[in-house]
Amino acid sequence: MNRNVHQVKAERRRNLSSWLLSLPTMLWLTAFFLVPYLIVVIYSFLSPDIYDVRFEVSLDAYRQIFAGNYLRPFLLSFKLAIYTTLICILLGFPVAYYIARAKEKLRNTLLIFIIIPFWTNLIIRIFSWRIFLAYNGVLNDLLISAGLISTPLEIMRTDLAVILVMVYVYLPYMILPLYSTLEKLDFTLLNAAMDLGANEVKAFFSITLPLAVEGIFAGTLLVFIPSLGAYLIPQLVGNQRSLYVGQVITYKIKNIPRNWPMASALSLTLLLLVAVMLLIMYYLFRKHKARRLQS
Amino acid sequence: MENIILENLSKDFGAFLAVDKVNLEIKSGELFSFLGPSGCGKTTLLRMIAGFEIPSQGKISIGNSEITDLPPYKREVNTIFQNYSLFPHMTVFDNVAFGLRIKKRPKDEIRQRVHEMLTLVKMEDQALKYPDQISGGQKQRIAIARALINKPQVLLLDEPLAALDLKLRQHMLIELMNIHDAVGITFIYVTHDQSEAMSISDTMAVMNQGKIVQSGPPDDIYERPASIFSAYFIGETNLITGEVTAVHEDYIELSCPDGSGKNLEIDSSFHVAPAPGRQITLSLRPEKIAISRNKPRAMDDINMLKGVIEDILYLGTHTQYIVRVGKLKFRVFSQHKRVYFDDKALDWEESVWLFWHDTDTWLIEEIPSESMFIDDPEGASGLQRYVKRGKI
Repeated sequence: MNRNVHQVKAERRRNLSSWLLSLPTMLWLTAFFLVPYLIVVIYSFLSPDIYDVRFEVSLDAYRQIFAGNYLRPFLLSFKLAIYTTLICILLGFPVAYYIARAKEKLRNTLLIFIIIPFWTNLIIRIFSWRIFLAYNGVLNDLLISAGLISTPLEIMRTDLAVILVMVYVYLPYMILPLYSTLEKLDFTLLNAAMDLGANEVKAFFSITLPLAVEGIFAGTLLVFIPSLGAYLIPQLVGNQRSLYVGQVITYKIKNIPRNWPMASALSLTLLLLVAVMLLIMYYLFRKHKARRLQS
Repeated sequence: MENIILENLSKDFGAFLAVDKVNLEIKSGELFSFLGPSGCGKTTLLRMIAGFEIPSQGKISIGNSEITDLPPYKREVNTIFQNYSLFPHMTVFDNVAFGLRIKKRPKDEIRQRVHEMLTLVKMEDQALKYPDQISGGQKQRIAIARALINKPQVLLLDEPLAALDLKLRQHMLIELMNIHDAVGITFIYVTHDQSEAMSISDTMAVMNQGKIVQSGPPDDIYERPASIFSAYFIGETNLITGEVTAVHEDYIELSCPDGSGKNLEIDSSFHVAPAPGRQITLSLRPEKIAISRNKPRAMDDINMLKGVIEDILYLGTHTQYIVRVGKLKFRVFSQHKRVYFDDKALDWEESVWLFWHDTDTWLIEEIPSESMFIDDPEGASGLQRYVKRGKI
């Protein structure tokens, strides 16, 4: 009985101290994350004015979204995110696999090569792609001097350029989680599969791929979700004919007359979609895990 | 069912020669084991038979068909891996069914054969569990079932019991023998554990530095080692090197330096005919030597030496005595049998008699070199000291 009282007291003390320890973070998140989001939520239900908002409740923004007026940017963004993720998986998997199977020393060097691009500012990297892909840019010069083409290719300011740069930027986010899963993979399992009659291809699909699912999940989260809200890359290398959600939101605030409620509603819709995606993936992942843990 | 034939088989990894011109025929249906210290090339040899390593030279055939360059999935050979390598994302059932599913067998056949296999390894009630939910011994059984379901000509076992604890190991050893009897195919077993190899094999090959040092039935190798390595690696032994002083009709006499200037006369039966004056090594197993504080009755075919007990190691089933005879040291095993009425236990520094039958010594036409006892400088009766002083 006495011991119980002590335990309860000790537990209370522990709870209190963990609350105190998390207080700074909680304050930070409340001030700079929760409050701004609340403002966005409130703004989305107000009426637009030329520069600011009128404090008059209006569901007009949501009405327009549900009427399908903004379906195209959403579809474009989803398409971009899906393409980017798929290409990242296809390109990232062999790289991650190769690094995971490399000798320990080489492995670290290769990982550094994957991480090095992060040392340069994103915008600078995107601008170098613009120079590289431009009509009179490095790529076209090279291809012409190699005699492969006679007139320069128009790559800049196309959807292809957007996907290209998106993949370039997000590939490391796919490779790193894939690598950390594949590094833990016991490669004698592949020997065992081959021993039991599976050739290299069958061994890959029945052993390597299922055991890399966790890495693919993690990589997909890290690539798909930011791709959905992509703004910078489409803005810098894309064209104005296909506007992605991120760009539309920005224009609603940037262009006069401004439409804060519309921008807020679009942001929240995007957030909601991402949340739904996360929930679906979480559910799928739980199912995948549960299948392994059921007895 | 066909024999496995290894011809002139070699494998090098750069400058390191892992397997060195091995020639061997393994009879069909046999339980054959490779025994050797780590790094002797036994696992590389097994991996070449499985198809995971391509030989640098030589040929592997099963019967008349050569399989040297076939990929693993085209060989009628299956392997039990050291850590079992069960697929962690599949149930026990799916693990066992893997081989048949790859071959696209009909569902009913798969279900039935998996059930047969799980019954063979006594795991029929665990089919829906995942590998991380079963014990080490059970994983072992599943690995066996998963391999045998493919009806291979040969089953390769790479240190299959190394990860199990002692009791389970002994139990699984018997189980493995029973399974071998039940399926009747060739088992090739690789181990560094001599008691495992000796108890399980029909034939075993002792390997050292990529070469097969000796092969034959376990008792043959234990009782009649062909080389100092065989004698020393399998079990424990006393190695005595000396000069042949006389050759009689059915025994020879050997003198060996004991440091006191005087020679020890040791009679031995012989299978080789060494000429007098030749240096020869004699292997004498510790359990063949009797130890007593009373002098035994002198007999023709009994060797007798007087020594002093230097160390006593109580080992439960037996006691090991280290007995100094002049400059030589003998290891002697003595079992604790009360029927001898040897009432008072032997003690340190006590003078004792060592005696053994002369057919229990075995001649080896080889002289130990220093490098043989790197791990055991005191080993083999302190032979090292003679080697160092250049007397042998």
